[in-house]
Amino acid sequence: MSTLAYLIWAMNILCDTGGQLAFKKAATVPGDGLDRWTAMAADPWLWAGIAFYVGEFVAWLAFLSLVPLSEGVLLGSINIVLIMVAGRLLFAERITRLRLAGILLVAAGVAAVGVGS
Amino acid sequence: MRRGLVIGFLCLLGFDIMAQLGFKYAALAALPVSPDAGWLLRVLGQPAVFLALLGYIGAFFTWMSLLKHAPIGPAFAASHLEVVVILPFAAVLFGERIGAWQMLGALGILSGILCLALDEAHGDEAHGDGAHGDEAHAGPA
Repeated sequence: MSTLAYLIWAMNILCDTGGQLAFKKAATVPGDGLDRWTAMAADPWLWAGIAFYVGEFVAWLAFLSLVPLSEGVLLGSINIVLIMVAGRLLFAERITRLRLAGILLVAAGVAAVGVGS
Repeated sequence: MRRGLVIGFLCLLGFDIMAQLGFKYAALAALPVSPDAGWLLRVLGQPAVFLALLGYIGAFFTWMSLLKHAPIGPAFAASHLEVVVILPFAAVLFGERIGAWQMLGALGILSGILCLALDEAHGDEAHGDGAHGDEAHAGPA
């Protein structure tokens, strides 16, 4: 895989992680029903999440232009790991032993695909 | 109910695969990739991009409907299964070779997803909390 492909891959993962975290932050606004949706629409975090997603959409298209689909989809799975770790750091979400095992297995799987690329 | 869930999961998988195939077809049709407006316009002008968008929207609504009835653990796992199911599609439609390292990687990722799904399912039983588990879902990757 070329250096450019690695850079675009990193950009895609950063946008995905940033987008999910921004959505999570926006989703924690208080309220119910329509009030909650109105508050979310006024929350800059929601729009930051959407902006991240647009960036991710473009980066993913560029990434799949450079690598085979099978390889790209497997390498993209690292988002599962990063989002869980970021959730632990920023939102104090728990990481149980089973979650840790899952994270390590996904990371090892992505590393294996990376080695073979 | 059970039959409905199976159909729902198959729909989710179908939409996810449709989205990824749309991305790949659009990306191939707009080659060569370059960091400029020309490439962006070329890629956005491909009909396959709309296949990807349609897949995204379909997957989102199927996912939200499934979460109403499905246990979060298996739903979480199923929502990521396209990572592995896409491999035969890539081999047949794009002539990609699935090597030993990729097979090994896919096995690791699948095992990891199963661990995460088991943890989610266990967490729901222990805490009666069905709200989490979708934090890693959605998105092109």
